[in-house]
Amino acid sequence: MISTLQKTIRPFWAVRGLHRSAVEDLKRPAPEDTVTASYGKFISEVKPQHLSPVVLHRSKRMVLDSIGVGLIGSTTDVFELVLRHCQHMYAPDHISSVYGRGGTRLSPILAAFVNGVATHSMDFDDTWHPATHPSGAVLPAVLALSDMLPANSKPSGLDFLLAFNVGLEIQGRLMRFSNEAQNIPKRFHPPTVVGTMGSAAACARLLSLDDSQCGHALAIAASLAGAPMANAATQSKPLHIGNASRLGLEAALLASQGLEASPLILDAVAGVAGFSAFYEDYVPQPIPSPDADGHMFLLEEQDIGFKRFPAHLGMHWVADAAASVHNLLVGVDHGTVSQAKVQEILLRVPKSKYINRPFPESEHEARHSFQFNACTALLDGEVNVQSFSPASMRRPELLALLSRVHVEHPKDNPASFNSMYGEIQVTLVGGEVLRGRCDTFYGHWRNPLSNESLRKKFRNNAGAVLPSEKVEALIDAVEEMDKREDCCALLSHLH
Amino acid sequence: MLRKGITGSFGAAIHGLNTPQLTDGVINRSKRMMLDTLGVGLIGTRTDVFKKALAYSKLFRSDEMSRVWGQTELSLPPPYAAFVNGIAVHSMDFDDTWHPATHPSGAVLPALLALAKTLPRPPSGLDLLLAFNVGIEVQGRLMRFSREAYSIPERFHPPSVVGVMGSAAASAKLLGLSPAQCAHALAIAASSAGAPLANAATQTKPLHVGNAARRGLEAAQLARMGLEGNPDILDVSGGFGVYYKDYGPSAMEGSSSTDFRWILEDQDVAFKRIPAHLGMHWAVDAALAARAKLVAAVGNFDLGRVRKVTLRVPPSKYVNCAFPATEHQARHSFQFNASSALLDNKVTVSSFSRAHVDRPALKELLSKVQVETPGDNPPSFDQMYCEVEIETAQGQSHAARCDTFYGHWRKPLSQEDLVEKFSVNASSVLCTEGVEGVIDVVGNIESVRECSILNAYLSMTSGEEEQLYSTRSM
Repeated sequence: MISTLQKTIRPFWAVRGLHRSAVEDLKRPAPEDTVTASYGKFISEVKPQHLSPVVLHRSKRMVLDSIGVGLIGSTTDVFELVLRHCQHMYAPDHISSVYGRGGTRLSPILAAFVNGVATHSMDFDDTWHPATHPSGAVLPAVLALSDMLPANSKPSGLDFLLAFNVGLEIQGRLMRFSNEAQNIPKRFHPPTVVGTMGSAAACARLLSLDDSQCGHALAIAASLAGAPMANAATQSKPLHIGNASRLGLEAALLASQGLEASPLILDAVAGVAGFSAFYEDYVPQPIPSPDADGHMFLLEEQDIGFKRFPAHLGMHWVADAAASVHNLLVGVDHGTVSQAKVQEILLRVPKSKYINRPFPESEHEARHSFQFNACTALLDGEVNVQSFSPASMRRPELLALLSRVHVEHPKDNPASFNSMYGEIQVTLVGGEVLRGRCDTFYGHWRNPLSNESLRKKFRNNAGAVLPSEKVEALIDAVEEMDKREDCCALLSHLH
Repeated sequence: MLRKGITGSFGAAIHGLNTPQLTDGVINRSKRMMLDTLGVGLIGTRTDVFKKALAYSKLFRSDEMSRVWGQTELSLPPPYAAFVNGIAVHSMDFDDTWHPATHPSGAVLPALLALAKTLPRPPSGLDLLLAFNVGIEVQGRLMRFSREAYSIPERFHPPSVVGVMGSAAASAKLLGLSPAQCAHALAIAASSAGAPLANAATQTKPLHVGNAARRGLEAAQLARMGLEGNPDILDVSGGFGVYYKDYGPSAMEGSSSTDFRWILEDQDVAFKRIPAHLGMHWAVDAALAARAKLVAAVGNFDLGRVRKVTLRVPPSKYVNCAFPATEHQARHSFQFNASSALLDNKVTVSSFSRAHVDRPALKELLSKVQVETPGDNPPSFDQMYCEVEIETAQGQSHAARCDTFYGHWRKPLSQEDLVEKFSVNASSVLCTEGVEGVIDVVGNIESVRECSILNAYLSMTSGEEEQLYSTRSM
């Protein structure tokens, strides 16, 4: 089904077979006027002084959270698997650090890969609107590249933050090219579409490529983008972020070698899909050149959501709703909830197949199951890292509750992280009905985590892998990052 | 619509297909594909894009390395050997094309040869041939899941969609993975599929094939380590079907079934005589025939006396380029290829050099070319035609039409011409012993005990640091 937009700009000659003289062909836009060129220009021209205090503050929080989830992610099976793969297939290359593994260094590309996998391994990383996991695609690549740059030209903390923010900005802008991106995804997993592009942009920025090379980096990255949603809720999903990070870095490195690709990759060209291939509707806009007045980064207007527990963002609504019912049930005694008291559970959630799982069989599926997260929160009062352990997943009382869940998709509950809600209705054996509803969970961009809550999450995560002195040193290093001459301090504490 | 079992059937087939299933017809055709692929890959190692990819790939090291074709003593980690060799194969758009459209061999053979080097027991020629055909077959099957695949592409470049799946299947076969692992290899590979068509006609296009080879190989290796993806990747919506607007998968019959028939048995590939997009071959053959008619009438071809050249071609935006500025664009331009044929009475490898592309005479001729897309000329490699009509200043008209160019699956290259193409290509890089060695090994591959000997011949360079031609894209 060709989008309406493409139909209207399809050249008439292609449809009717009319003459088209060679002269008309010269009327294609001058290279400088393309959307693609505007992006190349922006990436190469943007400077640290264009970062506002709000953007600095928000992006440092993202860097901290991303490192934390990456560190705890280094304890997962999937991380272990990909690390083994990299070490088996490639010789050690003592350049870039690996989260939580002091004695291990890999080539920059592979480090970006495994650290990206770690970041998304537990679905604990940040989520933006429109939906994607922006930091995990960018930070590992920027860290790996920083390790790669020679000692006398390491980026300053501000350069590092600028590159990171460029990576976010490009992702945010690209997602605003389509209506499709505004809703919970169905076809391509967003980090694999925009994340790869963001990583390429960030790395191009850090490498100080010129505007033409920056454009080519994006175009090369586009040929490395795109993975289907069906691999979400499987062990392969974390590789989506790992690959976005690594392939974006690769694209930037290839561009720095002089590799060229389509100069119209972001533009809408009838009959030849560029980046538009990943969307059903696509209307690109140029990005303005940053000038003396500065640049309004999207992060200024649209904050990020941080997760309080390692599961798909949608789970946070039902967990908060169910937790409130849990509190009603246990009352002031803080006793336990007995599953025998529960007759029926009704969940009212948006319609989204890949997070609707009545009986998840793996930890990956459990992180993508409204039912599982609601029942866990109902039983325990919260969902946390341990909720997804095999022992927790196998609990008879949990399974009993799961078997009593029904799911409804009210029409007023859209599949959008900006507008959805989660509602739970628990019917007790005695007939009493308890209700809970969550419109905005704590951690959502409308109700952001406080700095204390964010640091607490970081300490729990990083502390699982690092001694407390390093944990605190990392907190300080990130906080002071924009004032540091180089980012070496940060890099040295990661393991 | 959930139809379970399709992915599982693919996993079972990849695992279960065996050498007795290989028919003479399939063996014959696939050996021709292997030879042609090696030849275009060898000459491809002299291109600019290959050099850039090689420089990049040298960042990586591993304990077990695989040979880079056409280099005396150069090896890379297997995925990167597959990457650069795959790029070489597609670097000049000289590699084979199938129907439905894709470049099947370049995504598979580099991965297999790279992988073969790492196995504890070197595979036999027959093992290699079997794995190769599994990789081709899976691609053919997947393309038959949609109507979209039957037309010249507009969204995703087919090698990036089905090529990586074929590479994963072939690699899984060579590694001897279990049926479940074979299915997971496909699932993991699906997350590496899909590159937009806009990068065709650019220097990045060859990377589509290189990446298909490399990432399919990686998918199989990850599956072997136990990584799992969606076991119904071919079945479910949101799976492999996301790359197509219409998608209707069906199961692959078991290798034990008497119904099993290789697609290659019924549908041959096309081999190119010119290093350019397949569509160009019709234009060149028609242009040469029209030129011959003109010369027969007036004695010679005089550019000054040509008033207008009309090309009647199928509608396909990415190969309609009036004034190509780079070698890559030139390989994807009806106008350029027809004009080169008219001017030089041939189109060869050197037709795409900077010097040739920039010729004033060629540009003059290009300015006289018009393109029409008649309604009866569908964008399908199975049904398209090309008509070239030359109008002289004297008002005379000489036209010719090509329905099936020599090299198309309906009019296959003779064995002699195929080997000749290989020899010319390979000789630009290898010494005679290497050239003849490859012809010999591939020709008898079903009897070869260890296919590692192929790698040895592929490294027998002639010692001359020959530049293909001075290539620098604008």
